[in-house]
Amino acid sequence: MNDVTKTSPAAEEPTTAKVASETRSRRWPAMSVLSALFVVLALLPLGISGSYYMHVLILMFVYIVISSSWRVVSISGQFNIAIGAFFGIGAYAAAIPSVWLHWSPWITIPLGAVAATILGAALAFPFARLRTIYYAMGTLFLGYVVINLITAGGKTTGMSTGLGGVESLFSSRTHYYYLTFGLMIISMLCMYRFEHSRIGVRMKAVSQSHQVAASVGIGERRNRILAVAFGSFFAGLMGAVYCHYQGVASPASYGLAATLWIIMYVLVGGINSFWGPAIGVGILMVIPEFFFRDLKGDLPYVTAAILLIIAFTMPEGIVGLLKLTRDRVFARHRKKKEVSPDAVGD
Amino acid sequence: MLLEIEHLTKRFGGLAAVDDFDINVAEGEIVGLIGPNGAGKSTVFNLITGVFPVTRGRIVYDGQDITKKLPDQVAKLGIGRTFQLNPLFPDFTVLENVTSSFELHPHSSLFDIFFGTPKYRRNEAFIQEKAQEILELVGLAEEADELAKNLPHGHQKMLGVARALATRPRLLMLDEPLAGMNPGEIQASLDAIRGMRDNGITVLIVEHNMQILSLCDRVVVISFGKKITEGLPEEVRANQEVISAYFGSDYVC
Repeated sequence: MNDVTKTSPAAEEPTTAKVASETRSRRWPAMSVLSALFVVLALLPLGISGSYYMHVLILMFVYIVISSSWRVVSISGQFNIAIGAFFGIGAYAAAIPSVWLHWSPWITIPLGAVAATILGAALAFPFARLRTIYYAMGTLFLGYVVINLITAGGKTTGMSTGLGGVESLFSSRTHYYYLTFGLMIISMLCMYRFEHSRIGVRMKAVSQSHQVAASVGIGERRNRILAVAFGSFFAGLMGAVYCHYQGVASPASYGLAATLWIIMYVLVGGINSFWGPAIGVGILMVIPEFFFRDLKGDLPYVTAAILLIIAFTMPEGIVGLLKLTRDRVFARHRKKKEVSPDAVGD
Repeated sequence: MLLEIEHLTKRFGGLAAVDDFDINVAEGEIVGLIGPNGAGKSTVFNLITGVFPVTRGRIVYDGQDITKKLPDQVAKLGIGRTFQLNPLFPDFTVLENVTSSFELHPHSSLFDIFFGTPKYRRNEAFIQEKAQEILELVGLAEEADELAKNLPHGHQKMLGVARALATRPRLLMLDEPLAGMNPGEIQASLDAIRGMRDNGITVLIVEHNMQILSLCDRVVVISFGKKITEGLPEEVRANQEVISAYFGSDYVC
């Protein structure tokens, strides 16, 4: 007891300083990879301007944001099986005024994002009563309802063939490349801030125990609605941008299959890490498109095999594996550097 | 009176878990709510804190009717509580458990948090410092970076108390704080509870361990959802009805 009370701030300082420098040194590999990627992606259009690969990268930026938005909602304990539908709500909220009212894309794109946010918050309200598998089932059916409403929408939504003739924002693919790249960076910054601040702490608290969270004043319902509204904003934004890029909104892109692909990207990359979805999209979407295009027909089987291998060998996804390797390298590094024998802990 | 409860009734289907129950708690008191297992003690707690809706009756806290309030609204009014089982966030560290429980004082708005305004950073620095203090108070400072789920049972309970203290409660409700503790931990907990009262916190304790009696200013005994007696600890200890509720009527001599 005496030892506990004696710990003075002066005695603690060196340890906190050490921890801070350690986290800094643990972060630099990730930071340098990120900055290198940023430079490469920013300069890439100079090399592959207008090619099919550029299209793949635009697709990648869009799906990185959507997968990350799904994961950021999941930290509050909500596994939303209707993310494809929110992607679709953003797309149709932009496509319908664009095609029928000839509104400018500069209005319809924000409109798509806002519509998805408002609908997300409104739908999250009744769903905030459901947890775990019941929430997943509820949202699964919600996804079906949205798709059915779209296909039943008559001329307005273009039914199951989709709504064509959505006005394009730019004539050049390079412009779309930079637009989606820039939106991705802004979206990721916002989501990073959301998760790594007290807001994220509230979300994680609600997901671990809604009763304990409520007992300290963290309301379950309002935080869960906030998470869905926040995540839907980015899904809707990307849905709107993507449908202006493609020139068409079609219900097939927003159904259960789309949702399952998004969840798969997150699981393969690593659901417990902020960068997991981005890495999952990179591996499952971009690498096959670049290197194994002949395999495309068999891709679902290859992906299923990858998912099974990952589920059995690295439940934390690829990021989990990377972290493990990094920790091992750092541990060895430290062993060599430090002389004191008691520092060799792990 | 800080807390006044009248005619509190809770039915689960045909079973009246709490039946026409009254209890009052004055500011600065330590009140014990005791009774055998299944008497409805924890249900009373869950009704006060809004976990279950009340079937009938009225709960007044500090002159305000809180009968229909939700758990997080009750917490905002200054009622802190601990839980008998799973009293913490298992995947947070010990320190994170306490810092995350600092939601109400100081409170940061969503705008302040998202944009990291100076006010938010000041609040967070204050919280870090206070959280360390609370951990030292309950004797968990050494385990600050341990995951909460890895703590031994007694320490988890103390962490539950630390979390509740982080809300700066006026009324603290402890749900079986002594259950599953060894004699040494029991003594430490009794001292800690006394210390809280000396800091101006009113305490309401649910317990079936009779050792708690030594601590209480007043004791209310509940059995099968009904109040059977109320009084000073010595009176309650000698009461025939209490003995028969605990041990069966054969032991009343």
